[in-house]
Amino acid sequence: MISKETMAVLLMSLLLSPAGMTQDHEHHGHDHNEDAHQDHADHEGHHHNEPEAAAQASDTPAVSHATLTQTDEINAALAKGGEAIVADVMGVVCDFCALAMNKIFSKREEIAAVYVDLDTKALSLVLTPGATLSDETIAELAVQAGYRISAVRRGEQALGQAS
Amino acid sequence: MIRPLVSLLLLPLLFSAPAPARPVSYAGGWTLIEESDRQVSSALVHYTPSPSWSIGLRAETNRDGDFAIYSVHPTFLAKRWFGGDYQGNLYLHGGIGRATGINGNSQDDATAVYGGIMADWETRSLFIGYRSRYLEAGNFGDQFMHAARFGFAPYEGDSGDLHTWLMLEIDHRPEDQKPLAATPLVRFFKGPLLLELGYNLTVNQPLLNFTYRL
Repeated sequence: MISKETMAVLLMSLLLSPAGMTQDHEHHGHDHNEDAHQDHADHEGHHHNEPEAAAQASDTPAVSHATLTQTDEINAALAKGGEAIVADVMGVVCDFCALAMNKIFSKREEIAAVYVDLDTKALSLVLTPGATLSDETIAELAVQAGYRISAVRRGEQALGQAS
Repeated sequence: MIRPLVSLLLLPLLFSAPAPARPVSYAGGWTLIEESDRQVSSALVHYTPSPSWSIGLRAETNRDGDFAIYSVHPTFLAKRWFGGDYQGNLYLHGGIGRATGINGNSQDDATAVYGGIMADWETRSLFIGYRSRYLEAGNFGDQFMHAARFGFAPYEGDSGDLHTWLMLEIDHRPEDQKPLAATPLVRFFKGPLLLELGYNLTVNQPLLNFTYRL
């Protein structure tokens, strides 16, 4: 007679078997190309401004090309003339991670808008007009939130308009 | 035939890794955690001075032993592993406080000391966690427990979405009449709120965990 506990363990083991873990959502590196990103394109309230050809042929690990995530707050801050910054964040996998980044960065008066995109693992910032924020400061703020920055893009690169 | 198979399936569960979601917060963050399992109900409020440690006040009631512990509870983030798509954490936690009898338990109060480790590794769709604790509570006795948890998310939510996880927790309490117990549970996650609802199949008791991060 198989007990209820055994049945539960068997069921979960089947669900967590290698076949069950092979998911369309599995992300490797930061290469969010069009196909990989399609499933996430419909999140309410924001839009990822991905470049047309995000993937690069390279022997090195894929590099993120995530660009500024557009939200109402981000767009409003951009319209006022603030600088756009996108930072790739290591280890953001849940809403508590995003909350931590939002709390730390939104305290800074240089920052007019902030959004953490879990799909692209990117932190989108728009500064207040005339304000500056160094890469080092962004990295330090990420550490205060408990995370690490792997790359920072600004201006046209952040907006996905670089040639 | 089925027993060796089940043992084989259980083995990695016992030696892999549940932990409360993020027992250390961002610098300056406050967190309220309520947990209730088959033996203990607890409430912890903690403050995180730096992203490497938190300090809190914890109250717990041990329903089997009819005693309560009120303690100071520090947690240290010993190591965090970062990846583009994953995060792993190793925590050391402990506490010191006062144990006192409840529900007619007239034993004298005693000093209570406990400590253990917590570890987790997760992506946006997979979770493995482990925690252990050894408690020494004077005349109320000593206890050891450890538990492992596996989970997966049927879909990947983005920031602010409702995140849902299906999990299984296996806990082992050597001194219990039923040392090994299984608790399937559902974790809901949205913004600063985390809610876990489960049911312990071994002792027929509900699991209710709640976290609110300020």
